[in-house]
Amino acid sequence: MSNPIDKLSAIALPGLIETDYQTRGYHYCLEATADNILPVVQTFDDEGFYLEDLTCVDREKQLELVYFFFHYDRHKRFKVVVALDPAQPSVPSVSGIYSSAYFLEREVCEFFGVFFAGHKNLTYLFLHDAIDYYPLRKDYPLRKERVAVSAAEKARLNSFAVTESDDSFFVNMGPQHPSTHGVLRIIIKMDGEYILEAEPVLGYLHRMHEKMGENRTYQQFLPNTGRMDYLGAISFNLGYVTAVEKMLGIAPPPRAEHIRIITTELNRIASHLLWVGAYLADLGALTPFLFVFDDREQILDILEAVTGSRLTYCYFRFGGMPDDVDETFAEKTKRFIDRMHNERFSMYEKLITGNPIFISRTKNVGVVTRESARKHGVTGPVLRSCGLPFDMRRVEPYSLYERFNFDIPVGGGNGALDMYRIRIREMEMSLRIIEQALAAMPAGPVMAEKVPKKIKPPAGDIYHTVESPRGELGVYIVSDETDRPYRMHWRVPSYFNLMTFPESARGILLADAVAVLGSLDLVIPEIDR
Amino acid sequence: MDWTGLIEIVGRELFGVIAGLIGVLAFVVLNALFLTWLERKIAGHMQRRIGPKEVGPFGLIQPLADTLKLLGKELLTPHDVSRPLYFLAPTLIFIPVLVSFVVIPFDRQLLVKDINVGILVILAFSSLSVLSILLAGWGSNNKYALIGAIRSVAQNIAYEIPLLLSLLPIIMMANSFSLKTIVAAQEGLWYVALQPVAFLLFFIAAVAETNRTPFDLPEAESELVAGFHTEYTGMRFALFFLAEYTNIVIVCAIATSFFLGGYQGPLLPGWLWFLGKTYFLVFVIIWFRWTFPRVRFDQLLNFAWKIMIPVAFINIIVTGGLLKL
Repeated sequence: MSNPIDKLSAIALPGLIETDYQTRGYHYCLEATADNILPVVQTFDDEGFYLEDLTCVDREKQLELVYFFFHYDRHKRFKVVVALDPAQPSVPSVSGIYSSAYFLEREVCEFFGVFFAGHKNLTYLFLHDAIDYYPLRKDYPLRKERVAVSAAEKARLNSFAVTESDDSFFVNMGPQHPSTHGVLRIIIKMDGEYILEAEPVLGYLHRMHEKMGENRTYQQFLPNTGRMDYLGAISFNLGYVTAVEKMLGIAPPPRAEHIRIITTELNRIASHLLWVGAYLADLGALTPFLFVFDDREQILDILEAVTGSRLTYCYFRFGGMPDDVDETFAEKTKRFIDRMHNERFSMYEKLITGNPIFISRTKNVGVVTRESARKHGVTGPVLRSCGLPFDMRRVEPYSLYERFNFDIPVGGGNGALDMYRIRIREMEMSLRIIEQALAAMPAGPVMAEKVPKKIKPPAGDIYHTVESPRGELGVYIVSDETDRPYRMHWRVPSYFNLMTFPESARGILLADAVAVLGSLDLVIPEIDR
Repeated sequence: MDWTGLIEIVGRELFGVIAGLIGVLAFVVLNALFLTWLERKIAGHMQRRIGPKEVGPFGLIQPLADTLKLLGKELLTPHDVSRPLYFLAPTLIFIPVLVSFVVIPFDRQLLVKDINVGILVILAFSSLSVLSILLAGWGSNNKYALIGAIRSVAQNIAYEIPLLLSLLPIIMMANSFSLKTIVAAQEGLWYVALQPVAFLLFFIAAVAETNRTPFDLPEAESELVAGFHTEYTGMRFALFFLAEYTNIVIVCAIATSFFLGGYQGPLLPGWLWFLGKTYFLVFVIIWFRWTFPRVRFDQLLNFAWKIMIPVAFINIIVTGGLLKL
């Protein structure tokens, strides 16, 4: 570990500062400048780190560009801060080093007006072109006058133009298309049935949760979390709640933790089930969709009984649970586990897994190599399909996950087929976790004592991650000791997984593109936030 | 020459064909309605649902209600379509379908017209349907429709060959192109027992010819929205739909006549045997649709050219050799 530290300390003075991982969520912090950010980022790339996140915080006097780097094997998180002048914020683009910065820099550009020199297409990612203000700057508070951006600056930002050569044609896949699962739009340049280039266009479902977060109290933001990823809502609940708890330094009682884990895993199974159905529908088999909905219905019934909702849950509270679960919850969950083990998994095995058409459609389709995954910041089952057992439940155990015994299924680089197998295996693993949690569930309170009525975390920031059904979910919260977050940022896994698509779509058939896109398990509201 | 006699003969013949065509038309429409109901009912039960049940007993009148709804729909014509082609395509797709029924023997006597090259008539006319699909795709001014049409042409050409080749051994054995003769030749033993490979080849090619799952690439909804009929609404869409279901019945009727002994069978009347066997094959095709994923385009073509056609040729040679012995 000493190697990158020395190197980085030499490049950027005053060097690396070790931080308190328990409260901050990152191990080291480094202050860089616009001049030396490229060599710093290059050092991280050479050392095999992936760009976990890139965002910005408006400190009024200065704009703070925040880079997070994490390592698939070493599990050390570095935060790199670049202070910029808000009047003329400009920094060299790192999208040449990390492909994931391609989207991330566009996002920071439109929200904060930071210019990334050398970015090949610095157009708006989420926002409409006509929007002439930077919504996440602090001088743009809600319900106040806008700050206009000059036309010259906007012209500088919009430099990308689509060109059509003779033999190719463009197809707009989406925003209304059966297999983009939501309002994702992909501009595809095609030559016959083959794809030459693909460019995702985002923002059709953009709601600006991050700005909402700055204008609501910590509690008021709770329901928003479930509305980003509507399939893994409880994972988002958990990510947000545990992040804030970590800042406050409160720990929920064990019973609450057990209930959290059981419901989160149930939600994960529901999400994977839906994926199986939707993916097979993408491939043209419509019946499994109805079968998985049957199973998913059982989970929704269980969760509805305890949470009160069926899709966009808002279940956890800071410090524990709003209410205890009753006996029927455990009973119904056990019945569901038996049902899955006794009849359902074997049925899916017979109906889908062994089907030669399914195998021929998915094997070696959409293969993500380990290097490409690192460059794009890919996590979740997509990353695990290339054989890397990287799961946040193991890497950075939160809640009580370190107490449970489960495997991390990995693939052998067979692309979509492996992603399918991994997700099926993950459902089995989730059931195993639930079984253990049910058996070990202690009695006692479900709410921690001494949870303040007004949540005012101490000043500072935190980067907290959990494993959502789609991969690593990161929550970045900056607190200024008020009851509202100063800045809130979400690292959503499908956003990074989607970024591999243009690369893997190049030169494949349209039919394979659907198979690849489906295998990434995209949830558009999560990407657009 | 006796003119009155000639006119009488021509008149009788013409009357017979017209009456037959009207009968066929009635059968085609009723059959398509029944098939949509059957498909939805089977799909429902395969997916742990019950399917249509509200309109009429067991939901039997549901397709009629759907047809009425489609009739009432506005016929939208998108911008910049190639009007003659766009309007012609749905009509054109229906003609070969009607003609094919003329030569299929429903029973010993229930046959519109026995032509001594019956099977050639069917195959020749069914090749025409690909033309109207191409017109629809080209005329719609829609990229998805065009891709669907191109796929359809490549697919139909590729599968027409094994379709015909798989029937050749039967024609050799029965020594006739006439469906009536071929069915009559299966008095004792159905050809499926003598030619199982040919039956399998024919059935696979038939599924591909009718654009059904797992070979439903021209209208793959997860890739091409709805393929060649993306831009069609109302009754124009319904005509494509009708033609698709009728095509299924035609290929199943051919399979029944060629391999399953047509109307032959004990006790029950011949037409009932014929319809029973045909609908059983239709059921199998529907069953495929609700079980299999879709194959990819290159896999589809590879399968036709590299596996089915060579196997069909070997089958012909072996059959020919055995017949000579």
